Amino acid sequence: MSAPWAAVIGVGNEFRHDDGIGPALVAAVQHRTLPGVRVVSTDGEPTGLLDAWADVTLAVVIDAVVCEPATPGRIHRTAVDELPPAAGTAGTHGFGISDAVELGRVLDRMPRRLIVYAVEAANVSLGLGLSSPVAAALPALVDAVLRELGHR
Amino acid sequence: MTHRARQLTVSSLARVEGEGALLITVHDGQVQRAALQIYEPPRFFEAFLRGRQHTEPADITARICGICPVAYQMSACQAIEDACGVRIDGPLADLRRLLYSGEWISSHALHIYLLHAPDFLGYPDAISLAQDHRDIVERGLALKKAGNAIMELLGGRAIHPINVRLGGFYRTPSRAELAPLAERLRRALDAAVTTVRWVNSFEFPDLELDHDLLAVRQEHRYAIDRGNLHATSGLAFDVADFGAHVVEEQVPHSTALHARLDGHRYLAGPLARYTLNSGQLSATARQVAAEAGLGSECRNPFRSIVVRAVEVVYALDEALRLIAEYEPPERPFLDVPPRAGIGHGVTEAPRGLLYHRYELDADGLIRSAIIIPPTSQNQGAIEDDLRRLVAANLDLDDQRLTALCEQAIRNYDPCISCSTHFLQLTVQRR
Repeated sequence: MSAPWAAVIGVGNEFRHDDGIGPALVAAVQHRTLPGVRVVSTDGEPTGLLDAWADVTLAVVIDAVVCEPATPGRIHRTAVDELPPAAGTAGTHGFGISDAVELGRVLDRMPRRLIVYAVEAANVSLGLGLSSPVAAALPALVDAVLRELGHR
Repeated sequence: MTHRARQLTVSSLARVEGEGALLITVHDGQVQRAALQIYEPPRFFEAFLRGRQHTEPADITARICGICPVAYQMSACQAIEDACGVRIDGPLADLRRLLYSGEWISSHALHIYLLHAPDFLGYPDAISLAQDHRDIVERGLALKKAGNAIMELLGGRAIHPINVRLGGFYRTPSRAELAPLAERLRRALDAAVTTVRWVNSFEFPDLELDHDLLAVRQEHRYAIDRGNLHATSGLAFDVADFGAHVVEEQVPHSTALHARLDGHRYLAGPLARYTLNSGQLSATARQVAAEAGLGSECRNPFRSIVVRAVEVVYALDEALRLIAEYEPPERPFLDVPPRAGIGHGVTEAPRGLLYHRYELDADGLIRSAIIIPPTSQNQGAIEDDLRRLVAANLDLDDQRLTALCEQAIRNYDPCISCSTHFLQLTVQRR
């Protein structure tokens, strides 16, 4: 098997309702035949993200975002150079994609292209299952991610 | 200066696991209050374990912490197996210890390199440290990855392992699968020895703690995955008597309970483990500890970073030994048929001992659960350190004093997510 050229990285916690959109996307695509694509689920801890996108030219990251006001299920696509700098980080729990990008840049461990799909969440409290607007966004999200990979 | 009050506040602590704050009040040169405020919402794990099957806590409690899920799985399994009268020995116990070593390596490497070292080197965070010392941070990440590799192989994945079950594992590895892992761990061992030398070159503020130290002691081995309790005061007791000696109490400023040992303050964690068990370290770990000037005990909490680095050397050594001696078990798990009873489990999580107690009914349903994580045990000791540190350094300006306090808190690698979560600091002078 050749080395992967792309990575699909689902960030989140499926035990926190809509925060599980990243893992849900991973579950939806990981049984497809995607040659040269690494498909990973992670909690978003920065060093884990650096490993997830190690040595690929394209990384597509899927995460939930909490917005106010929110339109749950709305999908935002961002290229990494548009990401805002990390806002005052607290504990490692507060570490996120922005920190991983900063650390990745310093360590020269960034993929050539990093695309982030953020899905607006309705509910990130403890519990299983996506809210209906977020669940309804999943098919479009899968299509969009596959298009990034040139598989659709 | 007749009447002077200072208040130091950090309203959200950085580089700790979870959310908390620090509040220190100084009046006429006397520290009146040093409170580690844990305001993260309580998480009620003990309550929602009630009514669950005895097979479930290994997966449910792993979710308490993304940094030390194995500790929760191991203490939970051990306690429930104890309630059911089953003891896991031989290769299954060895594999558990191997998995746990992976968690020690990964958790300690993260804390040493990304959370704690920036304090000693004058950097605000690991990203700034990496700007000047890329090779050093890369070394830390490689070490962490070696620990993750153990967890991925044995646990199925690095975060919240899914291959652990009551009685053992769903699947156990072959010797051939472990061989490439050993190769990788040997390389990591060199990095770990270098790490001890690196952290030992830091400058350590003076502070000697006089608390009682409490750790698990395991026969013949440095305590990780099982054992009885020993304190530096000479007290020793079986895990079944944990509740008779360690009592949790609520304090108004924290959503985490404070624990006391026979009514007094105590400390768990690397300093306690090292001070009580340093004679059981491997030859390499003992040698690097001696080179680093650690005696048979260590009571300066700022030097805990050196002890953690020594423990990483030990965990790698131990993982290599376990892999070399490994013979696959006949079955990946032992049956653990339920019975009515009470069981206790204690293991050494990276940040200190973790106790679980379960009461089961005859069908294996959980009637009650008690979980005592290390950070809640250490909260009182941390506050005492802060009180003494502030009293001894009142000449520092607020900014430097606050920084020193935050560094002191990070000495304990507190996991507020576990204890419930961490920290924000305020310093105010009037």
